[in-house]
Amino acid sequence: MFLAIREIKHNKLHYGLIIGMVALIGYLMFMLTGLMLGLANQNTAAIRAWDTKTVYLNKDANDNLSQSMLTKQQAGKLDDHEALVGTVPVVLKKATTHHQDKQSIQFMGISKDQYLYRHKLQLTTGHKPTKTNEIVLDTSLRDKGYRVGDQVKLADQSHPYRVVGFVKNAKLNISPLAIGSLSTWQELKGMGNQFVASGIFADRALTAHHHSQLKKYTANQFIQKLPGYTAQNTTFLFMIGFLMVISLIVIAVFLYILTMQKLPEYAVLRAQGIPVSTLIRATFAEAMLLMVAGVLIGLFLTSGTALVIPSAVPLLINWPLTLLIGLSLIVLGTIGALLPVRIITKIDPLDAI
Amino acid sequence: MMATIELKNVNRTFGTGIGQVQALSAINFQAQAGELTLILGPSGSGKSTFLTIAGGLRRPSSGQVLIDSQNIQDMNKHELERLRLNKIGFILQSYNLLPYLTVAEQFQLVDRVKPNGNLNREELDQLMRELDIVQLKNQYPDQLSGGQNQRVAIARALYTNPSLVLADEPTAALDSERGAAVGQEFQRLARQKNKTVIVVTHDLRLRKYADRIFEINDGKIKQTK
Repeated sequence: MFLAIREIKHNKLHYGLIIGMVALIGYLMFMLTGLMLGLANQNTAAIRAWDTKTVYLNKDANDNLSQSMLTKQQAGKLDDHEALVGTVPVVLKKATTHHQDKQSIQFMGISKDQYLYRHKLQLTTGHKPTKTNEIVLDTSLRDKGYRVGDQVKLADQSHPYRVVGFVKNAKLNISPLAIGSLSTWQELKGMGNQFVASGIFADRALTAHHHSQLKKYTANQFIQKLPGYTAQNTTFLFMIGFLMVISLIVIAVFLYILTMQKLPEYAVLRAQGIPVSTLIRATFAEAMLLMVAGVLIGLFLTSGTALVIPSAVPLLINWPLTLLIGLSLIVLGTIGALLPVRIITKIDPLDAI
Repeated sequence: MMATIELKNVNRTFGTGIGQVQALSAINFQAQAGELTLILGPSGSGKSTFLTIAGGLRRPSSGQVLIDSQNIQDMNKHELERLRLNKIGFILQSYNLLPYLTVAEQFQLVDRVKPNGNLNREELDQLMRELDIVQLKNQYPDQLSGGQNQRVAIARALYTNPSLVLADEPTAALDSERGAAVGQEFQRLARQKNKTVIVVTHDLRLRKYADRIFEINDGKIKQTK
C-alpha cells in the first residue's frame, strides 16, 4: 500500500484517467442493472406485490395470460387463497374532456369476494371499486394527469368508468393496470358470460383444488414466460457481463503497460534485495485502490442520477445488488493485476546493472 | 585483517561451443574494510560481470565468492536477496531511486522491508548532513540535480548499514567537479565509516582517491596500485 498510494499521488493525472475510466464503466454497469431491475419490476410488480405463488392458465394458452380464457367449469372451485383474474389490453382515455392523450394499459378484472380484492390492493388514495363502472389505476397514471373522480373510457366502450382510487405496484408486463370487475373484463373482451376469467392467481404454492384441467405455473415460471421478459433480462445480463470482462481486460492492460514502464526501477529494487513479494503487493494494492476509487465515484454518479432521472425512465436501484456488483468489479480488477504480477516475478535484478 | 569480500579462482563463461566467451578468468581478489578499491577497465573487459558476481546477482561458473566469510555459492535465491539487502549497498549509474518517492520516503521503503539493523534517526540525519542533502528530504528525484541524486543514492545504499558498498560507474553522468566530489565521498566512506568500497569504473579521475586499483582486461585481473 505504501508504494501504491505514493505512486498514485505522484502521478495524479495518469492514475486519475484510469480511475475515471473505471468510474465510467462502473457507472454504466450500475445504471444498466438499475434499468434491468426497473424494467423487470414493471413486468412483475403486481405479481410480486400480491405475493403470488401460483398461477393457473388454460392449457392451450401458450403460457400467456392474455391468450388464456377459462370457462366456469375449467376454473372449478376456488379456495380463500385463489382469485380469478381477467386481463385484456385496452386504450385508456379521459371521457370528460376532449383530451387526446391515450394510454395503452391492461385492464384487470377481479372479484370482490376473493383475496386479491380483499387483501392485496395497495391503495394510495381513494377506495376500492365497488360498482362495475368503477376502476382503480396504477399510480404511474397519476403522472399522466389522471385523478380520482375522473371519468374515463376503456377501449371503444361507449359508457364511461369512474376512477375511484390509485394503487401502487399495479403493473404487469410493462403496462400499468386499471383494475375493475370481472364483468367489465367480460364486456371488454366481448365474449359474453362464456368465460369467467383469464387465469387464477394464488398466494399459496399448494391450494385446496388442483384444477386438473388447467396448467399450473409457479410465480417464477409465470414471470419467465411473460412476453419479452426473459429476452430483455438476458440482454441486460449479457451487457453487464461483457462490461465486467471489458473492465477486467482494461485494468489488466493498463497495469501491464504501467508495469512495463517501471521494469527498470523494479530491477534496481530487486538488485538492492527488495523482495519480489513487496512489488507484487504494491501492484495488487495499486489495482485495488484504482478499482475502489473508480467504483466509489461510479456509485456516487449512480445515486446522483437516480435522484434526478425522470420518472418515465424505469430505473430501480437495488443498493445491496449494486454494491455486490461494485465489489465484483473491484475483485475482477484486482485479478487483472495478475498479468503484470507475472512479469514482476520474472524481473532479473541483473537488468539494473 | 579479515577480508569483507573474497573471490577465489572465479571463472565465468557465457555461451557454449564456438560462441563461448570467457568473461572472467581465474580471478583472485579480496577487499578489506576501510579501503576504497577501484576496478578499472575498458568496455567489455569483464568489470560489470565482476560487479554482478561480487554482488550476488550472478553466479560464477566456477570458484568461490565469500562475503564476510560466507560462501554465497551455496545460497539460494532468497538467501542471496537477504544478503544483498543486509550486507551490500548498491550505488548504480541510474541512481537507484524511485521517482515517485521523496528522499525521506526512499528510506521509509527500506524500513518496511528491513525493519531492523538500519541506521537510526540520528545516524541518518548525520549522514544526510555529511552528504549535504538534509534540505532535500521532501524533494522528488526529478527535482534534484545529478550530483544531488547521486548523493541521495549513496545515502540510500548506506542506510542499511552494509559492510560492502558496490558502485557501478557512479560518476558516468557527472561533470568533473561533481565527479571529484563523489570520489572524495567514497574515500571518506571507506576511511571514516570503515566500509569496504569497490567502485567499478572507467573514469580515471577517481584514481587519486583509491587505496588500491585493479585493472581488468579480457577477463583477467591485475593489481596496479
